[in-house]
Amino acid sequence: MRAPRFVTRALVTSFLTVALVLGAVFGVLSLQVREQVRRSVADNLAAGQQVFTRLEARRQSDMRAAVATLAENPTLKAALDVWLTERGNPSDRTGREVLATVQREADKIAARAAADVLAVADSHGRIVASSGRLSAAWPRGATIGRAASGDLPDRAATVGSGRYHVVSVPLQLAEAVIGSLELGTALDSGYARELADLSRGHVAMLSNGTVLGTTLNATTARDLAALGDGALGDPRIATLDGESWAIQPLSRLGDVTFVALASVDDAAVNQTAAALRSLAWVALGAMLLAGLGSVWLARTLTRPIDDLSQSLSKMISAGPAHQSLPLSGSSRELDQLTFTFNALMASLVSAEDETEATYLGAVRALAAALDARDPYTAGHSERVSRFSVAMGEELTLDAESIETLRLGALLHDIGKIGVPDEVLRKPGVLSPAEFEAIKTHPTAGARILRSIAFLAPHIPIVELHHERPDGLGYPYGLRGDDIPLFARIVHVADAFDAMTSARAYRSGRIPVEAIAELRRGIGTDFDGPSVDALIAALPKLVTASEPFDPVVFQWAPHRARSA
Amino acid sequence: MIARVLLTAGLAFAQVVPSTGRVVGTVTLTISTSGKSTARAYDSRSVAPRAKPLPESRNVVIFFDGIKLSADLAHARATLAQKDEQFVPHLVAITRGSAVSFPNDDPFFHNVFSLSRGASFNLGRYPSGVTRTRVFSQPGLVKVYCELHSHMSAVIRVFDHPWFTIPDDRGSFAIDGVPAGEHTLVAWHERIGERRDRVTIRPGQATEVRFTLPVLEPAK
Repeated sequence: MRAPRFVTRALVTSFLTVALVLGAVFGVLSLQVREQVRRSVADNLAAGQQVFTRLEARRQSDMRAAVATLAENPTLKAALDVWLTERGNPSDRTGREVLATVQREADKIAARAAADVLAVADSHGRIVASSGRLSAAWPRGATIGRAASGDLPDRAATVGSGRYHVVSVPLQLAEAVIGSLELGTALDSGYARELADLSRGHVAMLSNGTVLGTTLNATTARDLAALGDGALGDPRIATLDGESWAIQPLSRLGDVTFVALASVDDAAVNQTAAALRSLAWVALGAMLLAGLGSVWLARTLTRPIDDLSQSLSKMISAGPAHQSLPLSGSSRELDQLTFTFNALMASLVSAEDETEATYLGAVRALAAALDARDPYTAGHSERVSRFSVAMGEELTLDAESIETLRLGALLHDIGKIGVPDEVLRKPGVLSPAEFEAIKTHPTAGARILRSIAFLAPHIPIVELHHERPDGLGYPYGLRGDDIPLFARIVHVADAFDAMTSARAYRSGRIPVEAIAELRRGIGTDFDGPSVDALIAALPKLVTASEPFDPVVFQWAPHRARSA
Repeated sequence: MIARVLLTAGLAFAQVVPSTGRVVGTVTLTISTSGKSTARAYDSRSVAPRAKPLPESRNVVIFFDGIKLSADLAHARATLAQKDEQFVPHLVAITRGSAVSFPNDDPFFHNVFSLSRGASFNLGRYPSGVTRTRVFSQPGLVKVYCELHSHMSAVIRVFDHPWFTIPDDRGSFAIDGVPAGEHTLVAWHERIGERRDRVTIRPGQATEVRFTLPVLEPAK
C-alpha cells in the first residue's frame, strides 16, 4: 500500500480535530442547555405557583364573600330553621312548603354561584337540599364529610363516592349556627384543566396515592401516583413515563395535594434544536476554514519538497554531476535538509574520487613495476598510453572515452605479470611453447581487472589489444569491426612503440620506418583509421614530449623531419 | 319585665286554685362538646355596638306537660323588642290568646315574619319607634325572624295552661299553684333540646328539681 499524500493526511487530521472539538462543544452545550432548561422550567413553575396561589386565594376569598352575601338570605334561614326545629315531615303540607322554600332558595343561590353543586346542610353536614350541575350526586340526607381539623372553610370532602373541593359558609341565626351552605367543585380532570390554565403547566390532584384528576396522560399520571404523596411536598425533578418532569407543589387541601408539572424534555428538545441549528452553521464554517487552512499548509510544505525531488531526479538522470541542489527558501528546515544533502553529496563525490585515485595509483604502480622487470620495455606502458590518448583526440572521441583509453592503454600489458621472466626477457626467437605463454597475457590481464569494479570499461582494451583485423590475432581471433575501437587504437600504439623501442635482440627502428611498417600492415595487422590517427598525431607527440623520455628523443624532430 | 309578667300570672293562679303546690329548682347549662361548626366566613354586618346578650339560662323555658286546665286561661302581654339587630329577649313564653308586641327600637326598619306551623305571618316593614302586635291563638312553637336582617331570630312558646316559667339569670326558677299530683316537668332549649322529669307536687309544699342541659357556647 502506498503512503497517503500529505494533503490527504493534513485534511483528515484537521477535519477529525475540528469534528472532535465540535462534538465536545455540542456535548457540553446540550448538557448545559438541558441544565438551564431544567432550571428555567422549575423557575417558571415556581413563579407560576406563586401566581396561582395568589390568584387562587383571591378567587376563593371572592367566592366566599359572594357566597357569604348569598347566605344572608332570611327566607332560606327561616325556612331551614323551621324545617329543622319542627323536625319537618315532607309529607305534611307545612313541611312540604317549608322544604320547597329551602329548595327554591338553594336553586336561586346555585344559579349565581360558580360551583358544580350547592347544598344547604344542617349543622351536622347532612344535606337538606342541593342544586346545581352535580346535585344528583348530593341527595338529601347524604352527609358531607368534615375535615379532620374542623374549622376549615375550604376543604376536600367526600360525598358518596366522589371527592369535592368544598367551600363552606355557615348560616347563622342569632349567634347560633343552624346549618351551612356548601359549595362543591368536583376534583376531577375538568377542575384540573381549570387550574392548569392558571398555573402555566399540567396539573394533577392526588390523594393517598390516587390521582383524582389531571391534565396528564394516563401513564404519566400512574407514574406520578407511584411517587407517593410524601414525595410531592417540595419542588423536584422526576422521571415519569420515561420523561423528565419538573414538579411543583401548588397547594394542599386536606389529604389532597395539588401539583403543577412541566416537561423538561419538551422544553429541552426545542432549546437544544435551536442551539444545534446555530452550531451547525459554526461547524460548517469551521470545517471550511480547517479544510482551506490545511490545504494551504500542505501546499507550502509539499511544493518545496516536490521541487527538491524534481531537482534530485534531474540530478540523478544527469549522472554524477558535481552540482548542488538549489535552496528552496520556503522553510528553514527544508533549506537545512538541502544543505546537508549537498554536503553529503560533495563528500560522497570526493570520497569516490579519492578511492578512484588510490586504485589508479596502485594500478599505475603495478604497470610501472611490470615495465621495470625488463629494462627494454621500461616506460612502454606510459608511452602507449600517451600515444593512444593522442590518437583518440585525433579521432575526436569524447572526454570520457579519452580517459578510458588513457587508463586502458596504461594497463594493457598487466597480464604479463604471470609470464615468467626468462620468457619475457629471452633474447632471440621464442619457442612455440614460450610464445603460447606470452599469448596468455591479455586474458590474464582481463581476469585481474575484473576484480576492480570501476575498471570494467577498460577490460576490452586489455583483453583484445592483440586482435587483428584479418582475424589472425589472439586470444579470440576476432575480425574487423568486431574488435572494439579502443583495442584497435591501443594495438597500433603498442606496435608502434614496440617497433621504435630497442630490444635485447635488436635496436629500435626509427619512427619513419615504423610508420611504413604500420602502413603496410593496414587491413591485415592494423586498423586503418587508427594508423592514420597516429600519423596525424605524431607532430603533436613530438612537441609535447618530455625531455627525459629517451625513447621519444630517439625519433627526435630532426630525425622525423629528415625522414 | 317578662319575669314580672310570669310572676303575676303565677300568683293569679295560686289564688284561684287552693289545693296546689309549688315547684322550685335550677337549670344548669354545661358547655356542650357536640361538634357543631362555629366557623364564620364573614363578620356580622351589624353597625351598632352589640348589646351584651342575655345569659343563656334566659333561653330556657320550664313547663309542665300534659296538665289540663279546666278554668279559662288568663291572657297576658309579652314584648319582643328589636334592638341592635337582635330580638330581645330571644325567648318569650305566653298563654294561648296572649298578644306579643314587637317594638322597633333600632334607628332603621325591621320586618318581623314567621313561617311556623302555629302562626305563619308577616308584619311587614315598619320604621323606628313603631310597635306592631300579634295575638297567638294556637299553642306551640313559633319562630320569628326579620325579613331584613337574616341573622335575627326569636322563639315564642305558646301554652294552653299557665304552669310555665323562664329561669332568671342564675338559672333559678319557681312555678306556683301547680295542681297536686304527679306531673311531667320539661326544660326546653331551642337548640339543645329538652329534658323531662317526673315530679310529684304536694299541696302547700315546694318540690325541688334540678335540670342540667348541655349548651353551646355562643358563636364568637
